[in-house]
Amino acid sequence: MLITESKDFVVNSESLKDIRSFSRDVFAKRDIPQELKDDLVLAIAEAAQNIVKHAYNGEKTTDKMKVKILFKEKEIEIGFFDTGLPVVPENITHRNLDDIKPGGLGTYFIKEIMDEVVFKKDKKGWVNHLVITKKI
Amino acid sequence: MSYKVNEQGNISTVFLTGEIDMDIADKAKGVILPLVESGKEVHINLKDVSYMDSSGISVLIESHQKAEEKNTKVIIKEISKSVLKVIMMAKLEQVLNLG
Repeated sequence: MLITESKDFVVNSESLKDIRSFSRDVFAKRDIPQELKDDLVLAIAEAAQNIVKHAYNGEKTTDKMKVKILFKEKEIEIGFFDTGLPVVPENITHRNLDDIKPGGLGTYFIKEIMDEVVFKKDKKGWVNHLVITKKI
Repeated sequence: MSYKVNEQGNISTVFLTGEIDMDIADKAKGVILPLVESGKEVHINLKDVSYMDSSGISVLIESHQKAEEKNTKVIIKEISKSVLKVIMMAKLEQVLNLG
C-alpha cells in the first residue's frame, strides 16, 4: 500500500522549522526506528535549505515549495518541488571533508543519509523536482 | 533558539537552547563570534540543543577557526546525542574541541 503526505511551504528559512515539524508528524505515524526518523528529518531539512539558498539565492519570495513523502513497501521516497532557478544536477557537489571550512555540508548529509538522490524531469509546471529515497 | 552567556574570568560559556538551523545560525554566530574575537576562551554548551543542521555545524567551524586565529579556544561542551551524531557525520570530532 502506498501512503503519500505532502504540504506546501513558502520558500524561506523561516519555513524550515515548519518543514521539520511536518516531517516529524508524518514519521511519528510510521513504525520506523527513531534514529532513522531523525536522519530523514535532517535530510529533508537540508534539501529544503538548498532550495532556499540555491534555487532562490536566499531572496525573498512568495513562491512555495512542495514536500511530498511517499511510503512504499520497502522504501521511503521524498520529493521536493520548486519553481526557482533551474538546478544543474552536475553542479551539485559537496566540499571535500578534509577542507575544513564553513558551508558545503548539506548535500553531503543528504547523500550520507539517503540511498538515492536524483533530479527528475517534472511535467506539472515545477522547475526542479528532487527525489531522495531511503530503503527500509 | 534562546541563549545565556556566563562569564567567569577569561572564559565565556554560551548556553544554547532549541534547534539551530539556517534561520537561527546567524543569531548564534552573532552571540559567539564577538566573544571569540575579544580573545576569550569560549565554551559552547549544547546540552539543550535538540537539533542542529549543516548551518549550525558551520557556526561551530567558523567559531573554531576564528579562535585559532585569535590564539584562543572554543570548546564544545555537553553535546546532546543528536548533535554529536551530526558532528560525527561531518567527521569533525577530531577537528573541533569537544569537552
